[in-house]
Amino acid sequence: MAKTEHTPLRDDALEEMFRAARAEAPEPSDSLMARIMADAEAEIAARAEAAHPVRTPRPGLWAALVAAIGGWPALASMATAAVAGVWLGFGATEGVDALAGGILIGDTGTATVSYEFEDLLPGYEGFAALETETD
Amino acid sequence: MTKGYVTRVMAMAFDAQTEVSDEALLVAYGNGDREAAAMLTARLAPRVLGFAARMLGGDRAEAEDVTQEAMLRLWKVAPDWRQGEAKVSTWLYRVSANLCTDRLRKRRSVDIDAIPEPEDGRPEVAEAMMQGARAQALEDALAQLPDRQRAAVTLRHLEGRTNPEIAEVLEISVEAVESLTARGKRALAAILAGRREELGYGED
Repeated sequence: MAKTEHTPLRDDALEEMFRAARAEAPEPSDSLMARIMADAEAEIAARAEAAHPVRTPRPGLWAALVAAIGGWPALASMATAAVAGVWLGFGATEGVDALAGGILIGDTGTATVSYEFEDLLPGYEGFAALETETD
Repeated sequence: MTKGYVTRVMAMAFDAQTEVSDEALLVAYGNGDREAAAMLTARLAPRVLGFAARMLGGDRAEAEDVTQEAMLRLWKVAPDWRQGEAKVSTWLYRVSANLCTDRLRKRRSVDIDAIPEPEDGRPEVAEAMMQGARAQALEDALAQLPDRQRAAVTLRHLEGRTNPEIAEVLEISVEAVESLTARGKRALAAILAGRREELGYGED
Protein backbone atom coordinates (compact mmCIF):
# COMPACT_ATOMS: atom_id res chain seq x y z
CA MET A 1 0.00 0.00 0.00
CA ALA A 2 2.72 2.41 -0.93
CA LYS A 3 0.55 5.37 -1.85
CA THR A 4 1.94 8.73 -2.69
CA GLU A 5 0.32 12.12 -2.83
CA HIS A 6 0.24 11.85 -6.58
CA THR A 7 -1.92 8.75 -6.88
CA PRO A 8 -5.03 9.97 -8.61
CA LEU A 9 -8.30 9.94 -6.77
CA ARG A 10 -10.17 6.68 -7.21
CA ASP A 11 -13.23 6.56 -9.41
CA ASP A 12 -15.65 5.95 -6.56
CA ALA A 13 -14.20 8.88 -4.65
CA LEU A 14 -14.53 11.09 -7.71
CA GLU A 15 -18.09 9.89 -8.15
CA GLU A 16 -18.77 10.91 -4.57
CA MET A 17 -17.38 14.34 -5.32
CA PHE A 18 -19.67 14.67 -8.30
CA ARG A 19 -22.60 13.74 -6.08
CA ALA A 20 -21.60 16.37 -3.56
CA ALA A 21 -21.34 18.99 -6.30
CA ARG A 22 -24.74 18.03 -7.70
CA ALA A 23 -26.27 18.47 -4.26
CA GLU A 24 -24.66 21.89 -3.92
CA ALA A 25 -25.87 23.20 -7.27
CA PRO A 26 -26.53 26.94 -7.22
CA GLU A 27 -30.16 27.96 -6.96
CA PRO A 28 -31.38 30.88 -9.05
CA SER A 29 -32.23 33.97 -7.03
CA ASP A 30 -35.70 35.48 -7.08
CA SER A 31 -34.35 38.52 -8.87
CA LEU A 32 -32.92 36.35 -11.66
CA MET A 33 -36.25 34.53 -12.05
CA ALA A 34 -38.06 37.87 -12.12
CA ARG A 35 -35.68 39.26 -14.76
CA ILE A 36 -36.16 36.19 -16.95
CA MET A 37 -39.96 36.46 -16.67
CA ALA A 38 -39.82 40.18 -17.43
CA ASP A 39 -37.95 39.32 -20.63
CA ALA A 40 -40.58 36.71 -21.49
CA GLU A 41 -43.38 39.25 -20.99
CA ALA A 42 -41.55 41.87 -23.05
CA GLU A 43 -41.15 39.38 -25.88
CA ILE A 44 -44.87 38.61 -25.89
CA ALA A 45 -45.64 42.32 -26.02
CA ALA A 46 -43.12 42.93 -28.81
CA ARG A 47 -44.53 40.07 -30.86
CA ALA A 48 -48.11 41.28 -30.41
CA GLU A 49 -47.08 44.72 -31.63
CA ALA A 50 -45.14 43.42 -34.61
CA ALA A 51 -47.88 41.06 -35.74
CA HIS A 52 -50.99 43.13 -35.23
CA PRO A 53 -53.26 44.11 -38.11
CA VAL A 54 -51.88 42.05 -40.92
CA ARG A 55 -54.97 39.84 -41.00
CA THR A 56 -55.37 38.36 -44.45
CA PRO A 57 -58.99 37.22 -44.87
CA ARG A 58 -59.53 33.58 -45.56
CA PRO A 59 -60.68 32.95 -49.15
CA GLY A 60 -64.44 32.35 -49.16
CA LEU A 61 -66.47 29.82 -51.14
CA TRP A 62 -66.93 32.22 -54.06
CA ALA A 63 -63.23 32.94 -54.31
CA ALA A 64 -62.47 29.23 -54.17
CA LEU A 65 -64.95 28.59 -57.00
CA VAL A 66 -63.44 31.29 -59.18
CA ALA A 67 -60.00 29.89 -58.54
CA ALA A 68 -61.19 26.38 -59.43
CA ILE A 69 -62.65 27.54 -62.74
CA GLY A 70 -59.46 29.25 -63.71
CA GLY A 71 -59.71 32.77 -62.44
CA TRP A 72 -61.49 35.86 -63.76
CA PRO A 73 -60.68 35.41 -67.49
CA ALA A 74 -62.48 32.06 -67.45
CA LEU A 75 -65.39 33.66 -65.67
CA ALA A 76 -65.61 36.35 -68.40
CA SER A 77 -65.76 33.68 -71.11
CA MET A 78 -68.51 31.94 -69.23
CA ALA A 79 -70.48 35.19 -68.99
CA THR A 80 -70.12 35.74 -72.74
CA ALA A 81 -71.35 32.21 -73.43
CA ALA A 82 -74.32 32.74 -71.17
CA VAL A 83 -75.29 35.99 -72.89
CA ALA A 84 -74.94 34.31 -76.32
CA GLY A 85 -77.22 31.55 -75.10
CA VAL A 86 -79.87 34.02 -74.05
CA TRP A 87 -79.63 35.74 -77.44
CA LEU A 88 -79.97 32.44 -79.29
CA GLY A 89 -83.00 31.58 -77.24
CA PHE A 90 -84.90 34.78 -77.85
CA GLY A 91 -83.63 35.66 -81.28
CA ALA A 92 -85.42 34.74 -84.50
CA THR A 93 -84.91 31.21 -85.75
CA GLU A 94 -83.64 32.64 -88.99
CA GLY A 95 -80.87 34.10 -86.94
CA VAL A 96 -79.72 30.57 -86.17
CA ASP A 97 -79.28 29.93 -89.87
CA ALA A 98 -77.34 33.13 -90.28
CA LEU A 99 -75.17 32.10 -87.39
CA ALA A 100 -74.63 28.69 -88.88
CA GLY A 101 -73.51 30.26 -92.17
CA GLY A 102 -76.44 28.93 -94.27
CA ILE A 103 -75.75 25.23 -93.91
CA LEU A 104 -79.05 24.63 -92.12
CA ILE A 105 -81.12 25.80 -95.07
CA GLY A 106 -80.51 24.07 -98.34
CA ASP A 107 -79.24 26.08 -101.23
CA THR A 108 -82.57 25.85 -103.13
CA GLY A 109 -83.00 29.50 -103.85
CA THR A 110 -86.40 29.59 -102.23
CA ALA A 111 -85.77 32.00 -99.46
CA THR A 112 -89.17 31.32 -97.97
CA VAL A 113 -88.18 27.87 -96.84
CA SER A 114 -87.59 28.06 -93.19
CA TYR A 115 -87.13 25.79 -90.28
CA GLU A 116 -88.99 26.01 -87.09
CA PHE A 117 -86.80 26.17 -84.03
CA GLU A 118 -88.16 22.76 -82.97
CA ASP A 119 -86.63 21.22 -86.05
CA LEU A 120 -83.24 22.03 -84.75
CA LEU A 121 -83.87 20.36 -81.40
CA PRO A 122 -84.23 16.67 -82.08
CA GLY A 123 -85.62 15.67 -78.71
CA TYR A 124 -88.25 18.30 -78.39
CA GLU A 125 -91.21 16.37 -79.85
CA GLY A 126 -90.45 13.47 -77.63
CA PHE A 127 -90.88 15.65 -74.61
CA ALA A 128 -94.08 17.11 -76.03
CA ALA A 129 -95.48 13.61 -76.59
CA LEU A 130 -94.65 12.68 -73.06
CA GLU A 131 -96.51 15.71 -71.84
CA THR A 132 -99.69 14.88 -73.77
CA GLU A 133 -99.57 11.29 -72.64
CA THR A 134 -99.63 12.11 -69.01
CA ASP A 135 -102.45 14.55 -69.51
CA MET B 1 -38.99 29.42 4.99
CA THR B 2 -35.76 30.92 3.87
CA LYS B 3 -36.50 30.30 0.21
CA GLY B 4 -37.77 33.26 -1.75
CA TYR B 5 -41.36 33.66 -2.75
CA VAL B 6 -40.79 33.29 -6.48
CA THR B 7 -38.76 30.14 -6.00
CA ARG B 8 -41.50 28.62 -3.86
CA VAL B 9 -44.26 29.54 -6.29
CA MET B 10 -42.26 28.20 -9.16
CA ALA B 11 -41.54 25.00 -7.27
CA MET B 12 -45.29 24.53 -6.87
CA ALA B 13 -45.84 25.20 -10.54
CA PHE B 14 -43.10 22.71 -11.29
CA ASP B 15 -44.84 19.97 -9.29
CA ALA B 16 -48.04 20.47 -11.23
CA GLN B 17 -46.64 20.11 -14.72
CA THR B 18 -43.80 17.61 -14.71
CA GLU B 19 -45.46 15.55 -17.42
CA VAL B 20 -45.75 18.38 -19.95
CA SER B 21 -42.75 18.44 -22.30
CA ASP B 22 -40.45 21.45 -22.57
CA GLU B 23 -41.32 21.64 -26.23
CA ALA B 24 -45.09 21.78 -25.60
CA LEU B 25 -44.51 24.57 -23.10
CA LEU B 26 -42.29 26.45 -25.52
CA VAL B 27 -44.90 26.25 -28.28
CA ALA B 28 -47.55 27.45 -25.81
CA TYR B 29 -45.33 30.35 -24.85
CA GLY B 30 -44.78 31.10 -28.53
CA ASN B 31 -48.55 31.53 -28.73
CA GLY B 32 -48.50 34.02 -25.88
CA ASP B 33 -48.95 31.76 -22.86
CA ARG B 34 -47.27 33.44 -19.87
CA GLU B 35 -47.79 30.53 -17.53
CA ALA B 36 -45.84 28.30 -19.90
CA ALA B 37 -42.96 30.78 -19.68
CA ALA B 38 -43.05 30.59 -15.87
CA MET B 39 -42.97 26.79 -15.99
CA LEU B 40 -40.10 26.75 -18.47
CA THR B 41 -38.19 29.21 -16.32
CA ALA B 42 -38.72 27.07 -13.22
CA ARG B 43 -37.55 24.02 -15.06
CA LEU B 44 -34.66 25.30 -17.15
CA ALA B 45 -33.15 28.33 -15.41
CA PRO B 46 -31.68 26.33 -12.51
CA ARG B 47 -30.03 23.94 -14.96
CA VAL B 48 -28.57 26.70 -17.09
CA LEU B 49 -27.37 28.53 -13.99
CA GLY B 50 -25.70 25.41 -12.60
CA PHE B 51 -23.97 24.72 -15.88
CA ALA B 52 -22.92 28.33 -16.44
CA ALA B 53 -21.63 28.70 -12.88
CA ARG B 54 -19.34 25.69 -13.38
CA MET B 55 -18.24 26.86 -16.79
CA LEU B 56 -17.40 30.29 -15.44
CA GLY B 57 -15.46 29.00 -12.44
CA GLY B 58 -18.11 29.83 -9.87
CA ASP B 59 -18.68 33.48 -10.86
CA ARG B 60 -22.28 33.76 -9.70
CA ALA B 61 -23.12 37.18 -11.15
CA GLU B 62 -21.76 36.30 -14.57
CA ALA B 63 -23.52 32.95 -14.52
CA GLU B 64 -26.81 34.74 -13.81
CA ASP B 65 -26.20 37.07 -16.75
CA VAL B 66 -25.56 34.10 -19.03
CA THR B 67 -28.71 32.40 -17.76
CA GLN B 68 -30.84 35.46 -18.44
CA GLU B 69 -29.31 35.90 -21.90
CA ALA B 70 -29.78 32.23 -22.81
CA MET B 71 -33.40 32.32 -21.67
CA LEU B 72 -33.99 35.53 -23.62
CA ARG B 73 -32.75 33.77 -26.75
CA LEU B 74 -35.17 30.95 -26.01
CA TRP B 75 -38.05 33.45 -25.73
CA LYS B 76 -37.06 34.98 -29.04
CA VAL B 77 -36.84 31.69 -30.89
CA ALA B 78 -40.13 30.34 -29.46
CA PRO B 79 -42.50 31.43 -32.28
CA ASP B 80 -40.21 29.89 -34.90
CA TRP B 81 -39.37 26.76 -32.92
CA ARG B 82 -39.24 23.79 -35.28
CA GLN B 83 -40.77 20.91 -33.41
CA GLY B 84 -38.89 17.66 -33.17
CA GLU B 85 -35.64 19.12 -34.43
CA ALA B 86 -33.78 19.48 -31.14
CA LYS B 87 -34.56 19.06 -27.48
CA VAL B 88 -35.21 22.39 -25.81
CA SER B 89 -32.74 21.62 -23.02
CA THR B 90 -30.06 20.60 -25.52
CA TRP B 91 -30.57 23.80 -27.49
CA LEU B 92 -30.37 25.83 -24.31
CA TYR B 93 -27.18 24.12 -23.09
CA ARG B 94 -25.61 24.80 -26.47
CA VAL B 95 -26.51 28.48 -26.35
CA SER B 96 -25.22 28.66 -22.76
CA ALA B 97 -22.00 26.87 -23.63
CA ASN B 98 -21.36 29.34 -26.44
CA LEU B 99 -22.14 32.34 -24.23
CA CYS B 100 -19.77 31.01 -21.56
CA THR B 101 -17.03 30.36 -24.11
CA ASP B 102 -17.36 33.93 -25.40
CA ARG B 103 -17.08 35.31 -21.91
CA LEU B 104 -14.13 33.12 -21.02
CA ARG B 105 -12.34 34.22 -24.17
CA LYS B 106 -12.97 37.88 -23.42
CA ARG B 107 -11.94 37.38 -19.82
CA ARG B 108 -8.64 35.86 -20.87
CA SER B 109 -7.82 38.61 -23.29
CA VAL B 110 -8.72 41.33 -20.77
CA ASP B 111 -7.75 40.04 -17.36
CA ILE B 112 -5.94 36.78 -16.92
CA ASP B 113 -6.22 36.94 -13.11
CA ALA B 114 -10.02 36.93 -13.11
CA ILE B 115 -10.15 33.14 -13.11
CA PRO B 116 -10.47 32.14 -9.48
CA GLU B 117 -7.44 30.30 -8.20
CA PRO B 118 -8.13 27.00 -6.53
CA GLU B 119 -8.39 27.66 -2.85
CA ASP B 120 -5.88 25.42 -1.21
CA GLY B 121 -5.23 24.44 2.34
CA ARG B 122 -7.96 26.48 3.95
CA PRO B 123 -7.84 25.60 7.67
CA GLU B 124 -11.62 25.68 8.05
CA VAL B 125 -12.18 23.05 5.36
CA ALA B 126 -11.69 20.16 7.78
CA GLU B 127 -14.46 21.51 10.01
CA ALA B 128 -16.80 22.48 7.21
CA MET B 129 -19.51 20.15 6.10
CA MET B 130 -17.78 17.50 4.03
CA GLN B 131 -20.30 17.76 1.23
CA GLY B 132 -19.79 21.50 0.89
CA ALA B 133 -16.03 21.05 0.98
CA ARG B 134 -16.11 18.38 -1.67
CA ALA B 135 -18.43 20.35 -3.89
CA GLN B 136 -16.19 23.39 -3.60
CA ALA B 137 -13.05 21.36 -4.23
CA LEU B 138 -14.59 19.81 -7.31
CA GLU B 139 -15.61 23.20 -8.60
CA ASP B 140 -12.09 24.51 -8.07
CA ALA B 141 -10.67 21.53 -9.90
CA LEU B 142 -13.16 21.89 -12.74
CA ALA B 143 -12.08 25.50 -13.19
CA GLN B 144 -8.58 24.26 -14.03
CA LEU B 145 -9.73 22.08 -16.92
CA PRO B 146 -9.74 23.25 -20.53
CA ASP B 147 -13.15 24.70 -21.52
CA ARG B 148 -14.30 21.77 -23.62
CA GLN B 149 -13.32 19.18 -21.03
CA ARG B 150 -15.05 21.23 -18.34
CA ALA B 151 -18.20 21.50 -20.43
CA ALA B 152 -18.28 17.78 -21.20
CA VAL B 153 -17.58 16.67 -17.61
CA THR B 154 -20.11 19.15 -16.19
CA LEU B 155 -22.84 18.08 -18.59
CA ARG B 156 -22.13 14.38 -18.08
CA HIS B 157 -21.52 14.15 -14.37
CA LEU B 158 -23.22 17.18 -12.86
CA GLU B 159 -26.10 17.83 -15.24
CA GLY B 160 -26.65 14.13 -15.96
CA ARG B 161 -26.93 14.47 -19.73
CA THR B 162 -26.33 11.56 -22.11
CA ASN B 163 -23.31 11.39 -24.41
CA PRO B 164 -25.37 11.83 -27.62
CA GLU B 165 -27.00 14.89 -26.09
CA ILE B 166 -23.64 16.35 -25.08
CA ALA B 167 -22.38 15.67 -28.59
CA GLU B 168 -25.23 17.80 -29.89
CA VAL B 169 -24.59 20.55 -27.37
CA LEU B 170 -20.89 20.80 -28.17
CA GLU B 171 -21.38 19.99 -31.85
CA ILE B 172 -18.87 17.16 -31.84
CA SER B 173 -19.06 13.39 -32.26
CA VAL B 174 -20.08 11.02 -29.48
CA GLU B 175 -16.58 9.55 -29.58
CA ALA B 176 -15.12 13.01 -29.01
CA VAL B 177 -17.42 13.46 -26.02
CA GLU B 178 -16.26 10.15 -24.56
CA SER B 179 -12.66 11.16 -25.01
CA LEU B 180 -13.24 14.61 -23.48
CA THR B 181 -15.01 13.25 -20.40
CA ALA B 182 -12.41 10.52 -19.91
CA ARG B 183 -9.54 13.00 -20.10
CA GLY B 184 -11.44 15.45 -17.92
CA LYS B 185 -12.04 12.86 -15.23
CA ARG B 186 -8.41 11.80 -15.28
CA ALA B 187 -7.34 15.41 -14.89
CA LEU B 188 -9.77 15.96 -12.03
CA ALA B 189 -8.58 12.84 -10.25
CA ALA B 190 -5.00 14.08 -10.55
CA ILE B 191 -5.82 17.61 -9.39
CA LEU B 192 -7.86 16.39 -6.44
CA ALA B 193 -5.25 13.81 -5.40
CA GLY B 194 -3.33 16.50 -3.58
CA ARG B 195 -6.36 17.41 -1.48
CA ARG B 196 -7.36 13.87 -0.66
CA GLU B 197 -6.85 14.25 3.09
CA GLU B 198 -8.98 17.33 3.57
CA LEU B 199 -11.68 15.73 1.46
CA GLY B 200 -11.87 12.66 3.64
CA TYR B 201 -10.06 10.27 1.33
CA GLY B 202 -6.84 10.17 3.34
CA GLU B 203 -6.81 6.41 3.77
CA ASP B 204 -6.69 5.74 0.06
